[in-house]
Amino acid sequence: MFRAFPTLLRIGLAEAVAYRAELVIWVLTATAPLISMFIWDRVAAEGPLGGWGQGEMARYFLLTLIVRHITSSWVVWELNENIRTGGLSPMLLRPMHPLVFFVAQNLAAMPLRAVILAPLMVGVLWWRPELVWTPEPWTLVLGLVSAVFAWAIAFSAQVIFGSLAFFSQQSLGLFNVYFGLWSLGSGYLFPLELAPDWLRQLLLWLPFRATLATPVELLAGLVAREDALGLIAAQLVWVGVFVGLAAMTWNLGVKRHEAVGA
Amino acid sequence: MIQVTALNKVYTVPKRGEGLWGSLRSIFSREVEEVRAVADLSFSIQAGERVGFLGPNGAGKTTTLKMLSGLLVPTSGQRVVAGFDPSKRDPAFLRRITLVMGQKQQLLWDLPPKETFALNRALFGLDEAEAKRTQEELIELLELAPLLNRPVRNLSLGERMKCELAAALLHRPDVLFLDEPTIGLDVRAQVAVRRFIAEWNERSGATVVLTSHYMADIAALCPRVIVIAGGALRYDGPLKDLAERYGGGRKVVVRTRDEAPETLGPFVREDGALVARLPSAEVAAAVDFALRQVAVADLSIEEPPLEDVLSKLFAERA
Repeated sequence: MFRAFPTLLRIGLAEAVAYRAELVIWVLTATAPLISMFIWDRVAAEGPLGGWGQGEMARYFLLTLIVRHITSSWVVWELNENIRTGGLSPMLLRPMHPLVFFVAQNLAAMPLRAVILAPLMVGVLWWRPELVWTPEPWTLVLGLVSAVFAWAIAFSAQVIFGSLAFFSQQSLGLFNVYFGLWSLGSGYLFPLELAPDWLRQLLLWLPFRATLATPVELLAGLVAREDALGLIAAQLVWVGVFVGLAAMTWNLGVKRHEAVGA
Repeated sequence: MIQVTALNKVYTVPKRGEGLWGSLRSIFSREVEEVRAVADLSFSIQAGERVGFLGPNGAGKTTTLKMLSGLLVPTSGQRVVAGFDPSKRDPAFLRRITLVMGQKQQLLWDLPPKETFALNRALFGLDEAEAKRTQEELIELLELAPLLNRPVRNLSLGERMKCELAAALLHRPDVLFLDEPTIGLDVRAQVAVRRFIAEWNERSGATVVLTSHYMADIAALCPRVIVIAGGALRYDGPLKDLAERYGGGRKVVVRTRDEAPETLGPFVREDGALVARLPSAEVAAAVDFALRQVAVADLSIEEPPLEDVLSKLFAERA
């Protein structure tokens, strides 16, 4: 498997380049954090919010944009399409797990996403030069580890909803419901710091924060050192839960596929 | 190489009523019916054989191929392919088989075919030098050189199928399952694909199991045929015997210099010529008889069209 990975990455990148127009459109449609940045910037100009000033607010949303693009994937649509149309069959007859192929495809597109995102970043930094900050080494290390965990949870969530296509025609609809809840609970549209207390308490028990707000707040240096490890530990639990659920849904789905075909 | 014993496949299909009331009812009471796609199928195929799978639409041909390649689990029965239980999809098993589906492609749509070749070389963990040699061999045999750098979406159907075959054979499988590999292709492309399959079978000694609705594919490629209809075995044996047994014999047509008589021995007059339909064993005697009785201007002996033979076979046992 490891011997094949470089080739998988190279071909994944070639595919991403072939779909570059779609990729540009997709990256540009996922720039909601920039809009949020401008809105919350105006609000924070009136006075600090939840202890955050304009600088923190802008830093938060800039990192939200970056982490969102690192952790997003298309595997829910890929799986849905391939399961419904029978495209999965040739994949099942290769001596490598189809999900390894999708992981490689996702990772391979990252450099291209970075290239597309770069001009936006430059624009924002030109608008707010004070955003260039030097993170402390520990926040950087924990933030990056946390971003990898966030990717694992987000990817597994898409595998779970994608694999529901083995059982139901409505898997994409269900994913949209999940995505709606995720937008509200992950810190994507507003910082969780600003949510009412009851909501913040509730979100501590839900997986959404672990997929976005945790790495963003860590990277932005907005988490106290004593809270950091607790957040990472919670993420690790969610990684276990989501990877486990993804493996279970996939395996049950493939069993069903073997029983009824495509 | 392939051993199939009492193979059965039953699908459970949801039943939906008609109209709005039917749709609403199906939400609350989910009625299902069982459809038997393959029924008690048994056969064995030796290494290196080329066997044609024939049957009308919905006969269970594709279901059988999917069960043999490990994509579908049978409801009951045994099958052993290249010494493996296909259901486990053991990587060692997957390296020894390939399934080419005329209607489902594995080529990467927006990239040139050579990228799919590179992907398959990596996924199958092939020795790079050896795989390159096989690739060159396939490129030459299938005349792929001009297509290698063009995105798959820009290739014609026939060109895509040739690339599909190359991608499926890079790992030099011992067993080739080909499900309608010539579907939708023009006559020239059909001939090219057929010629290639025969040549690859000769060169590599691989076993070929093929389904096709084009009788020309079967006639050109498969000395042995297995006919299934309604999921059950109807015939398993040499192709030539199939025509003999169900084709109503060979057609001998004699055109005479003078006006042909109404009847002559086994012959009767049809469209001005003397025509007889006879078992192979009686053809020589009938020709000899005709040559001695009338002044012959032209003589032909025709095999019954396979399509006719098969429709007779399906109708007879249905």
